[in-house]
Amino acid sequence: MYCISDEQVEYIFNDIRRHGVEMEDLQYNLLDHICCIIEHNLEDGDDFESFYQQTIRQFYKNELKEIEEETINLLTFKNYYAMKKLMIISGASAAIILLIGSLFKLAHWPGAGVLFVTGMVLFSLIFLPLLFVLKTKEAGSARDKVVLTTGTLVGILYCLSALFLVMHWPGARIMQFSTLILSFFVLLPLYFFNGIRKPEARLNTIITTIILVGVLGVQFLMTPVHKSSEPQQATVKEVKK
Amino acid sequence: MIFSTELIKGTLKTIVLKLLNDNDKMYGYEITQRVKELTGDRIQITEGALYPTLHALEKDGLVTTQIEYMGKRQRKYYTISKSGKTKTKEKLVELVEFMETMTFLLDLKTKTI
Repeated sequence: MYCISDEQVEYIFNDIRRHGVEMEDLQYNLLDHICCIIEHNLEDGDDFESFYQQTIRQFYKNELKEIEEETINLLTFKNYYAMKKLMIISGASAAIILLIGSLFKLAHWPGAGVLFVTGMVLFSLIFLPLLFVLKTKEAGSARDKVVLTTGTLVGILYCLSALFLVMHWPGARIMQFSTLILSFFVLLPLYFFNGIRKPEARLNTIITTIILVGVLGVQFLMTPVHKSSEPQQATVKEVKK
Repeated sequence: MIFSTELIKGTLKTIVLKLLNDNDKMYGYEITQRVKELTGDRIQITEGALYPTLHALEKDGLVTTQIEYMGKRQRKYYTISKSGKTKTKEKLVELVEFMETMTFLLDLKTKTI
């Protein structure tokens, strides 16, 4: 049985960390595992370093970090259903609250403002972020994740700007304008060029992009670019993702 | 024949739970070696699959852990908990039923071909 020295243990430990494994528990688990393999299989006089490199290489497909990613995946999977449930509940209640809020506003009943704020906050700050987290888990590539991140940001900004507009809070116009800019110059190109690469999604991407350009154009028409004394027209729409 | 990782993945939790159920306490390397010995090298548990599973079992309270310090190293021993024992029984029943169904399903298929 090979006797492993403290320096060698430290070398392995540092190498595990260098490979991007951050969970301490997992670092020690892997360290002990590798040490055991070395102790049982390495003969005296054999080259430690090359044996170690060969051994560690068998632990992963692309990089050692994937063990940690898999661990995190398994650990968070339990929350997956709870998150999904919360997402559906928050989304559904936000939609109902917003609908009732609109009715209150039309009828000039008191409480419309409170309903709007609650509905919008629920929708943009709970529902959309949860949808984002769950969707990124399913997203295959890093590009998909970037599109999702921008999409969620735009969605949240859009909802908040609508809320600010309806409530006549300051900053609504800037928010509305930056949402449009972000949608048109960042989200749309990202979405288009990401989707066009996938043969199965090409047609859908083109159609959705055309619709989005149209919707954004109409939105831009309704956005007062110049300062005016007239009261702003308030429109509340939910972004269909 | 060595079984593929895909085949083992679905049953790994059951394998680990059963081993811990039958043994007092075990550590990661020991588990992989025991499985190798028992199956004559036909089932080789990869480190990439074992440790995530062990962590998940620990989080679910199905196993308890104990750390032994060995100089700069730490060895984590896993012991089955009470709820782990119940889970093992459930998992074994499920797996046996699954194997019976698979045998039936695949036999049936070969007959029809």
